[in-house]
Amino acid sequence: MFTPLARQRKARLIDAMADAGLDLLLVYGNAWQNDYLRYATDFGILEGQALALVRNDGQVTLYLDSPLEVDRAQIDCPGVEVIHAPELVGEVDGALDRFRNQRIGAGPHRLIPRRIAARSRDLKLSDQTSMIDRLLMAKLDSEIDAIRRAARLADTGYAVFRNAARPGRADYELIAEIEAFYRTNGVDDNFQIIGVGGPEVRGMAPPSSKRLKRGDLVTTELTPCVEGYYAQICRTLVVGEPNGDQAAAFALYREAMEAGIAAVRAGVTAADIARAENDVFRRHGLGDYVTGKYTRVRGHGVGLFADSKPHILEDVTTRIDAGMTLIVHPNTYHPVVGYMVLGDVVVASEHGCEVLTATPRELFSVPA
Amino acid sequence: MRRGLMAWDGNELPQGVLMQRIEGLRALMKRGGVDGFILYTNLVQPSAVTYLTGFTPYWSDGLLLVRKTGAPIFATALSKRVASWISSTNPVSEIVNTPKPGGAVGERLAADGSRRVGVLELDRLPGGLYDEIVGAAPAVELTDGSAGFASLRQRIDGAERRLIEHADALAVAALAQVDPDRAADAGAVTGLIEKQARLQGAEEVYIAVAPNLAADRRMIRVSGPLPLSDRFALRASVAYKGSWVRRTRTFASDTAGRRALARADAWFENLVSSIVAGQSIGAQITGRIDELAGATVNGWMAESPIGSYPLQAIASSRAPDRDGVRAGGFMVLTIELALDGMPWLGAGPAFVQTL
Repeated sequence: MFTPLARQRKARLIDAMADAGLDLLLVYGNAWQNDYLRYATDFGILEGQALALVRNDGQVTLYLDSPLEVDRAQIDCPGVEVIHAPELVGEVDGALDRFRNQRIGAGPHRLIPRRIAARSRDLKLSDQTSMIDRLLMAKLDSEIDAIRRAARLADTGYAVFRNAARPGRADYELIAEIEAFYRTNGVDDNFQIIGVGGPEVRGMAPPSSKRLKRGDLVTTELTPCVEGYYAQICRTLVVGEPNGDQAAAFALYREAMEAGIAAVRAGVTAADIARAENDVFRRHGLGDYVTGKYTRVRGHGVGLFADSKPHILEDVTTRIDAGMTLIVHPNTYHPVVGYMVLGDVVVASEHGCEVLTATPRELFSVPA
Repeated sequence: MRRGLMAWDGNELPQGVLMQRIEGLRALMKRGGVDGFILYTNLVQPSAVTYLTGFTPYWSDGLLLVRKTGAPIFATALSKRVASWISSTNPVSEIVNTPKPGGAVGERLAADGSRRVGVLELDRLPGGLYDEIVGAAPAVELTDGSAGFASLRQRIDGAERRLIEHADALAVAALAQVDPDRAADAGAVTGLIEKQARLQGAEEVYIAVAPNLAADRRMIRVSGPLPLSDRFALRASVAYKGSWVRRTRTFASDTAGRRALARADAWFENLVSSIVAGQSIGAQITGRIDELAGATVNGWMAESPIGSYPLQAIASSRAPDRDGVRAGGFMVLTIELALDGMPWLGAGPAFVQTL
């Protein structure tokens, strides 16, 4: 049987399919882009690839090419028909033949395997990515509760990270401490990148064996996953006491993040939030550093994917609705101190937002 | 998601080795009459591009284009800000950061005047990238090159073998931390194994658990509290610098059970260290089961990095091989036995020897 949350999601999906006039929905997933698949099947795939067929009567068939994942899916997803498909694309292509002359949707369109995508006209396969995106963005209360639990673990995880940070330790050793903590405490996945150093650091990446030393800024983006839902926190710490430049730069990032959070409420656009953050940098003469040359996004959605829509950018006009969950993070390069990050997860409401992460908005310091 | 150590070290994986591998692909291209070869990568399907460049994406995806001459082109949607990180872990490619990697590859193909181009796992290529490629290079014929690439991967070189052996050493050491007398909670054990492997430099660690083998031999992913019974099994899938292994161990808390498991472990180590070329894998397993008293083979699977997956099933008890594997090849062998009436699960790497 589906869990209550998965059952609610599936009911919404079936309703959306009915509204779109679909008889069948094809969804693709892998461990990187699993949100569409998880929404439809509740399976958190780790190895290999999956395609699922959701019929308008609620029957779900999950095709997996990894035999190891088949074992797991049979246990994790008792309400789903699980099929081991070593030749995944060929087998699903064949299965779709049985639905000829029916109305079939698919998503995410970009990742649908070529062999199947090439038959779009023949199979009357329509791109339903945006339909699923709308479901992924507008959260149910039970989805927000899961993100709330993940946010709490983002906070406790960051405390573990801070305690692990000390001079001489390698960046990957800090990650090891976090992952061990998470596996023991109900987090089966975590997206995390890190930056260690000073003005030479232009962004975060996976650990590369850099060792922490006095004066380093240590940035991280922690994204634990609970029941499939990700929450994120971004914080910066200094090895030793922050110098004046680091403290002044952090104050700017904090002002920008708080301006962004203050802008979040139902009815605004993603661009409004980005503009609120970026205006702070522009007022301080750092407008160049909010461009694509130095930063990717000023925040993004969180949910069944660690980096969901909408992206918080000044050219993204997606309307923010109550129940959307976002991280607001003015992360970017600072010309004096290097790359710095600060971000909190929020859930939008009619008149503002609720901040889900509770770690103080400080430039933390660990003993040198 | 990748979150452990990701770095290229020229001592472990010299540029010259990568160039030899690329030249091996070029020889294959020449025999197949193709002007270029395209390989897709993301964190689930990284292995072919890692083999040729050393690079594994921690996020997003990309395409590697190997042409007849010149540096391979790696086009990725990873943002330009991480170009220096990509370069530091991909020492042989020209990096192109673009929101449309397929378009960038197609433009190069068109500019080269390419007519016929091989693609690894063409049917599985994301449709969006395929559309970008053919949109920019409509005259190019794309043809599946998976079988040829798999033939290239039937033998591993010394550098790859050393990375696999390192990954295996991490997995073995991490699993050795588990004391079945004290292991009561699967989540805590999973955390312990991950921590040990990651502290030693593992790039990725997936732990799976069969918490009560008497009830169910299937393995699940565990985080958080879950009781372990007196006989359980753990599978550690560990990556080091892009090379993956699996190690599975069965644990028992009673003395008689441990003795039986020790016999099976020794039998398994003998088996994987003596897999030879030219004989079917299934025959080599069943041919030696008599050496282990009280055991029968319930199932087996052999996996190898012959395409984009880090490990891909190449034969199993459900789909046995006929001709055997080639000397110099590598596989992870997973075996399930009934041993004195109880399940025993084991997995480990095998390097195929000449008979």
